[in-house]
Amino acid sequence: MTAVQAAPARSRSGARGVWLLLALAVLAAVAVLSLAVGAHTIAPAGVLRAVFEPTGSSDDLVVRDIRAPRALLAAAAGAALGVAGVLVQVLSRNPLAEPGILGVSTGAGFAITIGSALGATTAATGQLVLAVVGSVLAMALVYAVGHRSPLRLVLAGVALSSVLSGVSLGLRLLLPEVFDEYRFWVVGSLAGREQAPTLLPLLAIAAALLGALLLSRQLNAVALGEAVAHTLGVNVAGVRAGALVLITVLAGAATAVAGPILFVGLIVPHLARRVAGGSVPWLVAFAAVLGPVLLLVSDMGARVLLPVGEVPVAIVTAFLGGPVLIWAVRRYGAAPL
Amino acid sequence: MPIPRITGIASALVLTIGLAAGCGSGDAEPGAGAGDTRVFAADNGQITIPVAPKRVVATGYAVPALLEADAPLVGISSWQRGLPMMTAEDRAKYDELNKVAGESAAETNYEAIAQAEPDLIVIGVPKPVLADIDLKRLEAVAPVVAIGPSLPSAWRDLSRKQADAAGALATFDANRDAYQAKTKELATKYASVLPGLKLAHLGAYGEVANGNFQREFNGSWGTNIAQDLGANYYGQVKVKGGGSKDVSEYPSIEELPAAFAEADAITYSVAADGSVPKPVQYVLDSPLWKELPAVKAGKVFALRYTEAATYRSAMTTADAIDRAFAPLLAP
Repeated sequence: MTAVQAAPARSRSGARGVWLLLALAVLAAVAVLSLAVGAHTIAPAGVLRAVFEPTGSSDDLVVRDIRAPRALLAAAAGAALGVAGVLVQVLSRNPLAEPGILGVSTGAGFAITIGSALGATTAATGQLVLAVVGSVLAMALVYAVGHRSPLRLVLAGVALSSVLSGVSLGLRLLLPEVFDEYRFWVVGSLAGREQAPTLLPLLAIAAALLGALLLSRQLNAVALGEAVAHTLGVNVAGVRAGALVLITVLAGAATAVAGPILFVGLIVPHLARRVAGGSVPWLVAFAAVLGPVLLLVSDMGARVLLPVGEVPVAIVTAFLGGPVLIWAVRRYGAAPL
Repeated sequence: MPIPRITGIASALVLTIGLAAGCGSGDAEPGAGAGDTRVFAADNGQITIPVAPKRVVATGYAVPALLEADAPLVGISSWQRGLPMMTAEDRAKYDELNKVAGESAAETNYEAIAQAEPDLIVIGVPKPVLADIDLKRLEAVAPVVAIGPSLPSAWRDLSRKQADAAGALATFDANRDAYQAKTKELATKYASVLPGLKLAHLGAYGEVANGNFQREFNGSWGTNIAQDLGANYYGQVKVKGGGSKDVSEYPSIEELPAAFAEADAITYSVAADGSVPKPVQYVLDSPLWKELPAVKAGKVFALRYTEAATYRSAMTTADAIDRAFAPLLAP
């Protein structure tokens, strides 16, 4: 009997493994392609030369100093937002939830607004620190108010987001120069970040992704319901707190380095669920691969959509996010969370 | 009821005289009475205004223009961006005058304008920004003429039109002549070097976001006064977007080498105190900038006061450009 049940499970795992390898191959291809696509046209041979035999030419500098760091940033932010989206949806048991619903992005935006008013955002480091601090404080407040249940958590996040958005808007209306600083930050972009000190946020994202993988088995039990999780010996409160810390680090770090990029945290879990099913560990693994693919593709679009200049990547993901949101609403309930 | 023939002829005469006044140079007629009016062509239509206004309110770009032209101002909007370029005399007048609006059109204080009891209101904001102003409310106070900026280099004509509306052309023209004399002298000074150079300008205004840079061509804020000294900024925008976007664009930083590759020399905008604005610093710190031929050759010049939109402030700019370009004359 056990052997009969184990065979399909192994087969399903095998299929998921193949899909994951395929997704990794797509990610590698997209990452290489992102080195070749941009406002400045560089032939494939020029890209290869820039990677393997750089001579210091302007093409080499574009590939190595602008596009490569940008691709790394897109991959990290995409993975962070995708995995944060999975954690939020599993934790809140809400397929329409995304990291922003818990107030992370709004907290970062509020901190940037205050920082702009105080003149603390002139350097990229200042913006990074403010965004991280704002995200952490917002999440701490949301957790303090709503940690007793997933529903209260979401409600607390939405309420805090509304309040902080209102105060930010008021400040920006009163102080036009603050608005000027804020308007470029608020539309998330991966352009021009190559000079920013992003090593620390990238390391934080890497550590949090590892933490999400480690926590995913317990989250699998929590996804089945609190009672089942208790029966399986899972410390629900601890897992929930741990997941919130991971969401804060992932979404906060991604927002800090790229600004708010909406919909990635919503789209990616739904894409991942098509192949991972209801398994949280597989969901996390697929989200960590599909998030970068989505953001790298969106960023390539952002580079070439306009005849002059670029579109912020958050606008591209927003265009993609609308239809996906409708699709998610239509199929709500069709697959388990 | 038929209009009597004599009345019709009289009406036609009055209309013809009125139109002739409006279509003329706009110069205030010597000896014009306090109640005399004329029709003035503005962005908001054909407006009947006093020939010799006595109490003028100015906002936006009209503030520095009318301050310099010694117009009879009784109220102005805030104009912080022009302060570093004002003479001590104009700055004293600016500080003394009643502020009836903030930096943006949305900050117009209608009650303060009414209390100033103007007989003319000159609004110097771009046409799209006019939507932020309740013109009907202002028109209930005094005639309103809107004369806003279009192309950056058009400040010469627009500021003259503003001075004309305010009946202050005499001082305005004196300032213009002084500017033209100065730039002519400087153009002669640099005649051996500037006309032969292919110049490019890195700007610091408008929609400069991370990852982009502002390239300004002939006729833009950063270039138009240098042009009066003989400078020529080669190239043109890829896509004309109207107004300042006809003469400047915001390409990706990746396009920096292609954009500036042919430049013999590059100028870039800095703040009035000489500090480098954030969007410009981003480009200066880029490895692509350091590889540009003009940068390697040391032919890079920082220009101050590139926001000038009046003749007197443009003289400050011309002096600053003279100091910046001085190394070009070195043997």
